[in-house]
Amino acid sequence: MSAGSNPHEAWGTRIGLILAMAGNAVGLGNFLRFPVQAAGNGGGSFMITYFIALLLLGIPLMWIEWGIGRHGGRYRKGHLPGMFAALWRHPAAKYLGVIGMVIPLVVMIYYTYIESWTLAFTVFSLTGDYWGRGTQAEMVAYLHSFQGIGGPAARVHAAWTPYAFFFVTLALNIWIISKGISGGVEKLARIGMPVLFVLAAVLAGVVVMLPAGPDGSTAWTGLNFIYAPDLSRLGEPRVWLASAGQIFFTLSVGMGSLQAYASYLSAKDDIALNGLATAATNETAEVVLGGSIAIPAAVVFFGVSGAMAVAQSGSFNLGFATMPVVFQQLPAGQLLGALWFGLLFFAGVTSSVAMLTPILAFFREEFGFRREPVAIAAGVVTLVFGLMHIAWLEHGFLDEWDYWAGTFGLVVLALIETVIFVWIFRPEQAWRSIHEGADIRIPAVFKFVMTVVTPAYLIVILTWWGWQDAWPILRMERVAVDSEFYVLLSRGIIVAFAVAFVVLVRIAWRRNGYDDRRGLVATTGREEVEEGL
Amino acid sequence: MSGSAIAFMAVSWMLVLGLTAWSFRRILRSPRR
Repeated sequence: MSAGSNPHEAWGTRIGLILAMAGNAVGLGNFLRFPVQAAGNGGGSFMITYFIALLLLGIPLMWIEWGIGRHGGRYRKGHLPGMFAALWRHPAAKYLGVIGMVIPLVVMIYYTYIESWTLAFTVFSLTGDYWGRGTQAEMVAYLHSFQGIGGPAARVHAAWTPYAFFFVTLALNIWIISKGISGGVEKLARIGMPVLFVLAAVLAGVVVMLPAGPDGSTAWTGLNFIYAPDLSRLGEPRVWLASAGQIFFTLSVGMGSLQAYASYLSAKDDIALNGLATAATNETAEVVLGGSIAIPAAVVFFGVSGAMAVAQSGSFNLGFATMPVVFQQLPAGQLLGALWFGLLFFAGVTSSVAMLTPILAFFREEFGFRREPVAIAAGVVTLVFGLMHIAWLEHGFLDEWDYWAGTFGLVVLALIETVIFVWIFRPEQAWRSIHEGADIRIPAVFKFVMTVVTPAYLIVILTWWGWQDAWPILRMERVAVDSEFYVLLSRGIIVAFAVAFVVLVRIAWRRNGYDDRRGLVATTGREEVEEGL
Repeated sequence: MSGSAIAFMAVSWMLVLGLTAWSFRRILRSPRR
């Protein structure tokens, strides 16, 4: 496979590329968030709206992002400011792309912190650290103590413990990223993805074979809990929004990282089939494996009502409190606990390494820095702001970033990139671009979907979320008085990141003499040619 | 499991597994591109 955005960077093999893309997509959301969302939003009804969102949002956005990325790669741009400028000859294009720099950086920082919990709990499982805390309440207290919630009196571990695991997790991420695309990210995916699928299959097999619980519930009762259709709920906007949100979260669309990965492709590489394979692999991990572990296990031990209560109390309580309670009641529970948290860790790390890719691409391509120093600098930034998350988790610092960058921001960026790629670049150009080197012909109906249905769907989601969630959150209606300072600080940091990237983009454009109105200079391999859009 | 839940689960699984198997079969025909 030839290099797009950098002559020295390329994917080694097609399978490696797809595993890395799928690794980017498969994350904590597949195993923790999906079953909770499905069970809490009408089971089978949720699945109907979920597959509609997959068809009308997920897969079209996957093709759009692969298309934007590969097109940007022709201009040696692995970052969205450059990719947007390559598609739209307007000074505003590069600044809109800044959203695609802020989101992956912000998400990377708090996601790595959550990822470090999974590493910590892998170790805690192997050492039997939480053994003896056999109830949900005791495990929630244990989780909170690790997270530093509840004050020093309730602390089980030394205060430095979460900091140490965060540091190790971050160092591992930075080490992998510093090894490059084929030497780091692709190697990780080729090892991590098969391991992840094997671990998930083993755990799903164990859960399905569990004997009936105290109230006679089995794993099949749990699957029934997820899939039993409540068709009356199809009329609720909440169910449609929940499924659309899950599709965004699980496929990692609207983030900027899929585009960065795709920039390392050439014009003769397929993106239509590869994009579809990536989405399908992620869906297998989510629907088949993700739905068959946590909720069915919780139902066996706590019954449907108990599992429902756990699910409503949050995805983290299900994964980090309920599952450890379950493992303590099973033979080889310590090993199974390590498998579960190891699975989450692999799922997390294959996603987080993708998030810094556009940031590294920006500094390498626009300022000529080497990969290693940029990776280390990005690691230092992640460390500094990650420490704030550890210190101020209980004040909603992480929730604020998760909402504005990891939820609302994804939809905003998805809408902007769809408008630029499909409407401004023109539907015919976009369609032709996606089909360059394609192994399959995408059904023509998707041209209409990408042009009309996907943007309309995104506008509806944004409007609804804006009215229902974003405005009350912005007004801090649900924030405790003693947390208001931390929430404002967290928002201020996101704004500061955006301002910093706007300034850096401006400097880069001046430094490299880019003319927004004339368009960027495309490259073919190492040979540069002037090319119109 | 109720019949309708089994039906929903079967359709969901067949859809994602079928799509994954089909796409990888096509990819393995030309693994270098």
